[in-house]
Amino acid sequence: MAKKKPSFLKNWVESPSWFRAFLIGVALCAAAFLANIALSEVRPYNAWGLTYGTLAAVLMAIVALYGLRRRTTNVALKLRLGRAQPWLQFHLYAGALCLLLTLMHSGFHVPKGILTWWLWVLSIWVTASGLFGALLQRWIPTILASGLGNEVLYERIPDLITEIKDKAKTLAETCADPVWDFYKKNLARALEAPQPRLIYYVDVTGGIQGRMKQFDYLRRLLSPEERDKLNKLEALYKTKLEIDAHFTLQRTLRGWLYLHVPVSLVLLVLVAFHIFTILYY
Amino acid sequence: MAKPPQPLDVGRTEFRRVEMYKDRWASRDNDSGILALSDDKLSPSQLQRYDLFKDYDEEFLERISPDVSVAKWRKGSIFFEEGAYLDLAFFIVQGEVEFFVSALSERSRLSMPIFDDSRTRISEGPEPFRLATPVAAASERVVLPSQLRKPESSRSITFLSSIDIVSLPAGGEGFKLRPGEIFGEIGAMSGWPQSVTARAATECELVQIRMPALRLMKNESKAFKERLDRVYRKRALAVQLKNTPLLQDCDESFIQELTREVELVSCKPDEIVTREGGPVDALYLVRSGFLKLSQRLEEGQIVVSYLSKGMTFGEAELLLDEIRGWTCTASSVEYTELIRISRDKFNKLVNNYPAIKRQLWGAAVARIKETGANRKYVNRSEFIQTALEKGLVQGNSILVIDLETCTRCDDCVRGCADTHGGLPRFVREGDKYENLLITKACYHCRDPVCLVGCPTGAIHRAGVGAVVEIEDNICIGCQACARNCPYDAIVMHEIGEIWPEDMIPEGLRGKVRLLASKCDLCYKTNHGPACVNNCPHGCAIRVGSLEEFQGLLAKHE
Repeated sequence: MAKKKPSFLKNWVESPSWFRAFLIGVALCAAAFLANIALSEVRPYNAWGLTYGTLAAVLMAIVALYGLRRRTTNVALKLRLGRAQPWLQFHLYAGALCLLLTLMHSGFHVPKGILTWWLWVLSIWVTASGLFGALLQRWIPTILASGLGNEVLYERIPDLITEIKDKAKTLAETCADPVWDFYKKNLARALEAPQPRLIYYVDVTGGIQGRMKQFDYLRRLLSPEERDKLNKLEALYKTKLEIDAHFTLQRTLRGWLYLHVPVSLVLLVLVAFHIFTILYY
Repeated sequence: MAKPPQPLDVGRTEFRRVEMYKDRWASRDNDSGILALSDDKLSPSQLQRYDLFKDYDEEFLERISPDVSVAKWRKGSIFFEEGAYLDLAFFIVQGEVEFFVSALSERSRLSMPIFDDSRTRISEGPEPFRLATPVAAASERVVLPSQLRKPESSRSITFLSSIDIVSLPAGGEGFKLRPGEIFGEIGAMSGWPQSVTARAATECELVQIRMPALRLMKNESKAFKERLDRVYRKRALAVQLKNTPLLQDCDESFIQELTREVELVSCKPDEIVTREGGPVDALYLVRSGFLKLSQRLEEGQIVVSYLSKGMTFGEAELLLDEIRGWTCTASSVEYTELIRISRDKFNKLVNNYPAIKRQLWGAAVARIKETGANRKYVNRSEFIQTALEKGLVQGNSILVIDLETCTRCDDCVRGCADTHGGLPRFVREGDKYENLLITKACYHCRDPVCLVGCPTGAIHRAGVGAVVEIEDNICIGCQACARNCPYDAIVMHEIGEIWPEDMIPEGLRGKVRLLASKCDLCYKTNHGPACVNNCPHGCAIRVGSLEEFQGLLAKHE
């Protein structure tokens, strides 16, 4: 019997070798922390605690370079700084290790100072939002690839919808009254603008198939010529619904970055301030 | 608000145009060695002075003249190097041209016009390209750029028309051609790399013909076609037949016999070679291009297989007496060159060489199995049909995106735009096949039809390599390449300039300048294709063969 591939690794881990390196990192951190407990107190300001904090800060700075690389593609390519894929993998796993080191630095306790409390909370937020984004990036593309006939560029969605709306209106104006009324009642508003729907997260095609059924009864009543026009309207409506699915899901793929990036920048500034205060005082 | 178009600096434009026009007729970018070059366009009467063009009428010559030039080369100039892709053929008017080859073992690596396994490393800094000279050739082997090296696994394939002049001893003395002879035409017509290095033994005057004109000349004149075939038979056919896996055990006399008697068949795109049920009279061997094999199924035709360079067709029909007619309709997908071995010759071959008979039986059984399976499982046939229709068999480097992992971040497009002055060279749109998006990025075709009809030669193969590029400075924005490209991979941009008043052709004067733009695989940069490099999820992939494409699909099964 053929060996079954481990589905977790296949579905959720882009690069198993980076995942293994991450596990080794976690194991090393755990070993260090156990040694710390055995040999000394767990405090942020002793040698152990400062080492965790320093490592976390250094790692955080390196992890943040990924954002810089994305915004200076030309320089990164010219300097041959390597492919973007390993950069992202490092960003992901080193970011997660960063949180672990931060927690070790705080002794897994909620800090009492205002600045340190914010640092603690923001570290968790940034890592959690990053993890959330990584999961979305693994999950949504598989939904998008699974049942939609068209591939749509997110930036072109408004133009495409305007085009579909105009085409449908022009066509409907040439139709007999029942089709024109049907268009006004059921389609005109739906074709007006992109409409995000939650159902697309669950089943990218289910909602579309259901909505197409409304055409069936009317179709039976029409002459061949009118039926042909209705079919064309139906095709336009179906394309619009597919675009809606793209709009909903691609917006999420982009939107999560707003949860992650601005907070990361605030965190970086606060970490810098934290280091400054420690060195100064 | 958009900036109004600015008039161009007249002198600068004209200077650049002349400089670039000169480069167009040389395969090497630096120090081409051209002493003198004919005017922009030779008149029909000027062309008719050369023996080569005597068979053609003035109207025809007017049509091909943008693709013909006459150049004087200094002694020692290199016309092309071993491994170079060239869309030029040369007719010697005066002087002598000599040819060299490196060791045979090295030569066998030349035929594959795809890049090395990583594909993205195609431009990792130019590797030194040492020239084989008559003296050095015996001891020094020509170092080839990495992108031309054929993967180990493919070495058993023989690419017939990749070898241009093969009767030279490996690494030995040069071979010379004199006035009245033509060379480079096999590489130009087939779109495969040259197998020899050509150098001016004396000061030379050459008529240089670009591939589109050469193809038209061959189609227009039977005499010219016969002349090319004669040259091919004389210089290359025997060794090529001998290098074909099927015929490698044949003795010299039989090969010579075959060389004299086989028929060379040239097909235009969509030309039918054999009809299903028609009488079987020969075995066909593909020299270049592709053949599509289809069979009747219910009311339509189903594609059951395709044949590429080095493959044979007809063995099953000729070996099995029970098969009365062709089992498939074979038609050319593009310009295709075939070798036709008649039934008599085939019978002699299999009777004299039992090993060949066994090999042909193997091929016949494999073909029957394949066609049977493709008839039974229509999705397999659909894949072949799609691959032929969408040109997947054509591409040397097709950009596909795995939609199951692509996060639509557009970093691929951003990388491309950043590398090319802000204008991306492809759109993340195109046909979908299962989970793969075949983008509208240049395929860098084996037979680039976009080259046909370019009035200035701005679109060309870039030096040594399979990359098809557009030279901005000589592109006049006529859109011929964009119209010819079957895959919509060339787009026209307005660049905010107006053509100067001394512009040639006159029709462009004062008009807004358009520029054709397409993927150049970032070959001028020190990194590989930016799209692949910059994809954070590794879902932008360059594909160079149908097998690789199938491999990607199989990953998701």
